[in-house]
Amino acid sequence: MSLRNHQSLKANMTGYAFISPFIVGFLAFTLIPMFISLYLSFTSYNLFTPPKWIGLGNFEKMFTGDPKYWNSIRVTFTYVLVGVPLRLIFALFVAMILNTKSRMVGTYRTMYYLPSIIGGSVAVSIMWRNIFSNEGIVNSLLSALGATPVKWFGDPNASLMMLITLSVWQFGSSMLIFLAGLKNIPHEMYEASSVDGATPVRKFFSITLPLLSPIILFNLIMQTISAFMTFVPAYVISKGEGGPMDGTMLHSLYLFRQAFMFSNMGYAAAMAWVMLIMIAILTAILFITSKFWVFYEAEKGR
Amino acid sequence: MGKKGWFLVIAMLLVLTTACSGADGGGNSGASADGKVKLRIAWWGSDTRHEYTQKVIDLYKQKNPNVTIDVEYASFDDYWKKLAPQAAANQLPDIVQMDISYISQYAKNGQLEDMAPYLNQKIQVADVNENVLKTGIIAGKQYGIPTGVNVLGFQYDPALLKKAGIDKIPDDWTWDQYKELALKAASNKVYFDSSMAADIFFHYYLRTHGKSLYNTEGTGLGYDDDKLFVDFFGGLAELIKKGATPTPEVMNQTKGILEESDIVKGTGIGIWQWSNQYVGLQQVVNRPMALAPMFGPNMEKGVYMQPTMYWAVASRSQVKDEAAKFIDFWMNDVEANKLIKGERGVPISAKIKEAVAPELSEATKQVFEFVASMEPKASPMSPPPPVGSPEVIATLTDYIEQVNFGQMTPEDAAVKFRADANTILANNKQ
Repeated sequence: MSLRNHQSLKANMTGYAFISPFIVGFLAFTLIPMFISLYLSFTSYNLFTPPKWIGLGNFEKMFTGDPKYWNSIRVTFTYVLVGVPLRLIFALFVAMILNTKSRMVGTYRTMYYLPSIIGGSVAVSIMWRNIFSNEGIVNSLLSALGATPVKWFGDPNASLMMLITLSVWQFGSSMLIFLAGLKNIPHEMYEASSVDGATPVRKFFSITLPLLSPIILFNLIMQTISAFMTFVPAYVISKGEGGPMDGTMLHSLYLFRQAFMFSNMGYAAAMAWVMLIMIAILTAILFITSKFWVFYEAEKGR
Repeated sequence: MGKKGWFLVIAMLLVLTTACSGADGGGNSGASADGKVKLRIAWWGSDTRHEYTQKVIDLYKQKNPNVTIDVEYASFDDYWKKLAPQAAANQLPDIVQMDISYISQYAKNGQLEDMAPYLNQKIQVADVNENVLKTGIIAGKQYGIPTGVNVLGFQYDPALLKKAGIDKIPDDWTWDQYKELALKAASNKVYFDSSMAADIFFHYYLRTHGKSLYNTEGTGLGYDDDKLFVDFFGGLAELIKKGATPTPEVMNQTKGILEESDIVKGTGIGIWQWSNQYVGLQQVVNRPMALAPMFGPNMEKGVYMQPTMYWAVASRSQVKDEAAKFIDFWMNDVEANKLIKGERGVPISAKIKEAVAPELSEATKQVFEFVASMEPKASPMSPPPPVGSPEVIATLTDYIEQVNFGQMTPEDAAVKFRADANTILANNKQ
């Protein structure tokens, strides 16, 4: 027995050797740092002097003594709750257009997906800043149409709206997934419903949406999680300050400021863990409610 | 097969561990038996700065063939993100460029070396103004050697000033005169300036009243009369309201886009900032410009020579002598300073200032002259901002933004800022 064990260990050794870079990397750069950050969230730590244990102090400050924290939560939830549905609706809309039979459809798909490949990058954010600047294309268009130009980065509400439009514009990856989902809906269903005299709107709500619902759930969860973690556009567009009047102070940006500008590493770690728990709860809620609106064919439609 | 597998694992571990210890050893080896010295140096800045700094380093290596120098450079933001973990891991480069807002933090946490024993030994400071050299002293120790000095002032377009109905900026102008002139410009539909950076200019204003933003120990604010806060920020908010200064909406919109700023577009007369920022601005504005001193009363009490930045030596460095020698080269070598051209501030050595004067561009000359005219008037600098100051400044900026947007009164802001700042700074009490 022990001999066989030994032999199988020997045989597996090469395998272990090959995956060891991943294991070492995972331990060194993911798992261990996670536990260290959990420990740090209970300390006061400025990177220079050793961490000092303060128990729940950071969490207490977060929930009771820091209005800017609540502001960042409010801004982040607005960003997620407005941005994600808009992005998904837009993605589905474009996916349906691109699902039609047309000769150029391949080119269009590539074009619409492009923003997502370069999405989230610094370059896109800088471009976005230029588009919405005083003399940018948006304000030029507005004044050409006779409307008053908007101070997109000057007005606290407008600047968050601008961030949301940036996130909506980067709809490519969810669009592709929707497209794949649309292709999976059997064509006969539409034909059958045509025979029964269903209108296109009826077809959309009675066939497309229910059959697409598992994909919608998937996209919804993935996009919600990634939206909560948005950092680069807010950082670049507000020049790292989350302004004006903290209007674009997303949670991740506030966390970054606490960690790297104010050297409050412990507080930042605590913020990160609270955000992790919030995302987990939200995802759980999505899963639980999905029972009521997601339709799986395997269940034969209750 | 199995043996090979184990061998692979062990080899990989070995590579990992030696890679780590390699980084350790490199820093600590210092001067070896054959006289070879390895220096590490780090700075932040623009591409122009990286280029000439590399040239100065090459020149040094040419004159000291036994020295090799590893360089690390980044933009300002990235620099501090990189430096903090290096400090935490006790891996700071031998020579680090330090900013006034960070030096206290690094010095007080034991990361930097007291350079006092090196002065007039390895580093010649005979012809440096004492007030200037003193700006590198934190908690009684010389942790930084200034690379050059800056002074606050008003940088403006004289032609536009005339167009606004103002002949010239009066000598020894006062805070009240400034406000009058600004309103006059507003009545002629020109912005007088683009407002003032809250922390820097409030600190100046406090100094003219014999106070300072932080107390000497860095454990609290350095003034106790909130009326000063209300007068200063209330005055500035009033100017915004009356159109002498762009609204915060406009300021936020154009922030970081120099081409859209009023002074560049010719709709604003001037800008309040540090003298070393003049050369860059002049290039973009591309019209004749001038420098004016700060407003009074008691301008002499308020104005001070601020180090543009410092050179500091890491306390863990094994090659401190060589590091000091390099700093001396930077400060006192004429050839090197002809490459530097005062880009890191007006040189602190009087001899070097004279030696490089003929090499300068017109704008740089103006700066050198302006700084020279202010140097005899300036008072000693307040201690560098204490640990926690970045958070205090961010808090102040937030409240002032709310005041300027008209969502908070200066009175409320004064009280709230005092409470917040004292909470943050209280952590510095031992």
